[in-house]
Amino acid sequence: MTERRYEGIGATPTVGIGTATWYRPTDVTDLDEPPAAEDVDAAAERERFDEAQADARAELEAERESTRERVGDDEAAVFDAHLKFLEDPQIESGVEAALDDGLPAPHAVMEAFEGPIEQFEGMDGMMAERADDLRDIRDRLLRLLTGTERTDLGSLPDGSVVLAEMLTPSDTAQLDPEAITGIATSKGGRTAHAAIIARSLGIPAVVGIGDELDAIEDGQQVVVDGEAGVVIAEPDEETRQRAAESTQTPVVEESVATADGREIEVAANLGTPVEAEPAVDRGADGVGLFRTEFLFQDRSAAPDEDEQYDAYHEVCETFAAGLTGEEPRIVVRTLDVGGDKPIDYLDLDPEENGFLGARGIRLSLEEHADLFETQLRALLRVAATDAGAGLAVMFPLVSTVEELEAALEQVEQVADDLESEGVEYAIPELGVMVETPASTYLADAFAERVDFLSIGTNDLTQYIQSAQRDLDRMTDYQDPLAPAVVRAIDRTVTAGHAGGAWVGMCGEMAGDPELTELLVGLGLDELSMSAVTIPDVKTAIQEVDTEAADALAESVLAADTLAEVQDCL
Amino acid sequence: MERTLTVVPDDGLHARPAATFVETAGSFDAEVTVEAVDGNRPAVSADSMLGVTGLGVRGGDDVRLVAEGPDAEAALDALEAILSTPEDELDDMELP
Repeated sequence: MTERRYEGIGATPTVGIGTATWYRPTDVTDLDEPPAAEDVDAAAERERFDEAQADARAELEAERESTRERVGDDEAAVFDAHLKFLEDPQIESGVEAALDDGLPAPHAVMEAFEGPIEQFEGMDGMMAERADDLRDIRDRLLRLLTGTERTDLGSLPDGSVVLAEMLTPSDTAQLDPEAITGIATSKGGRTAHAAIIARSLGIPAVVGIGDELDAIEDGQQVVVDGEAGVVIAEPDEETRQRAAESTQTPVVEESVATADGREIEVAANLGTPVEAEPAVDRGADGVGLFRTEFLFQDRSAAPDEDEQYDAYHEVCETFAAGLTGEEPRIVVRTLDVGGDKPIDYLDLDPEENGFLGARGIRLSLEEHADLFETQLRALLRVAATDAGAGLAVMFPLVSTVEELEAALEQVEQVADDLESEGVEYAIPELGVMVETPASTYLADAFAERVDFLSIGTNDLTQYIQSAQRDLDRMTDYQDPLAPAVVRAIDRTVTAGHAGGAWVGMCGEMAGDPELTELLVGLGLDELSMSAVTIPDVKTAIQEVDTEAADALAESVLAADTLAEVQDCL
Repeated sequence: MERTLTVVPDDGLHARPAATFVETAGSFDAEVTVEAVDGNRPAVSADSMLGVTGLGVRGGDDVRLVAEGPDAEAALDALEAILSTPEDELDDMELP
């Protein structure tokens, strides 16, 4: 028996192996001929439609919430779009008209969606995918109207590879990433919903394989290579082994050191407290960047001190419970808002508060000093708790020593207030997020005043390269390996150490295992990244020899162009 | 009351600009319709996401807005502001 290969589009950079399980949802669009109009009770059909619409709404809302929790806000947004379409005036008036013509509810739904679906199918790219969304909503309504059992994707046995023509948002909302080791679809592109969700859930996926996929039968063993964009049915021994090796890097729970014994802390970047547990599971030693903006966004007023206390304490507790030994370090960044991170009640202006305007610590020391004070009160209280013993507080976008001193004074002031109120508090480790060119030049002065520096490479790259992050035209300038950026990092680490501070990195760059050796060579003490890449980076650290890493850093620092830097790696 | 204007966001009336447009249109009492000036499709209700995105309007295209109702002028002003704002600045706009 020889293995069979099916080429498609790789949607995730991971490989999985498992048992083929075809997902073939019941075709709900295959309706019987409608009865004659005079035999249809129009009022009852209207009620039937209203009920199905209400049920669909409830399902969509539940799926939106579960996707938001499991995957994230961006991925949940598709359900908002579906909710809008479900109640769109054009659809509703189409259904209304068909009901008036004497059609039963399911046929009225078919008819109301037909025009819009055809219209979107005729468009190109992203808009054509809207037709899939509409079909998904239509089929949901039809399933509810006809009382068809839902094909269950949520309870597949462990080690299943799901094969399907395509997966709709409602299908993917049920996927269990623990059980499913791969997805392969005959239709769809990299931007298809299934591809996006698979990426976020870390499920290996290949899409757009074509009808050849039908040749794979239920129960056959399948390798899904999302990196190469290929699906292999009935793989031979060698392929199986290669797949098993390249599946996921095993989690390293304990803290790691280089091959010759230099310890490097590997921490997670968090955007919300719910991300803490998955980060512990992936082996995070602590948190190197806990963004606090989530507490302030999507609401009409700022959170009070107790609400903030609870959120920070929750993360500390999750880590303290998940790890043994010393209290893990949890670096909380104080509110970092500006023009690109709008918050309704803060009245920010895209110019005034843009990338070169009043943002980060600048707002905390002036316009929003009250928010800063409240946040510091909550943080100092958490620092006094058992779980919060490893708490650290970091100030964003500091560019002068005056700002840093003002922030430190504010910490002292808050401590004095809590003292006189008889509230328990402790002063946590304090640090500066290095993300402006100015801060790289002042790293020594900062290091003398705080415990640590953490380099935010995303903003640092933008400012060093003078190229705005969100402009497509500027993409070429955004590489943190640009010689100017690498030299700024080197300068910061050296000056930080000279001033007695530990120096970490919390930008995207820190999570790239291919750059780990270079970062070790540049002298970083801590690397903080999104949780998914932690196992890879921990494994990479264990393979580093510091002497070789130092030599690599030296050659990279001698390079004058991006191409030369890349040649060194 | 009607107004013809050129759509600024590169993506045209899709995705976020469309969502903001539809939401804003729905917040006024006035009945607003929109059509592509060069298009061959009939005007659609401005509070229908489906209708609006289905127009296939792209950045640089001209659209005609027609509004009827007590707050027609305010509605047209607000919708014109959205269509004249590049997508990446939409977040910072103050909407009614």
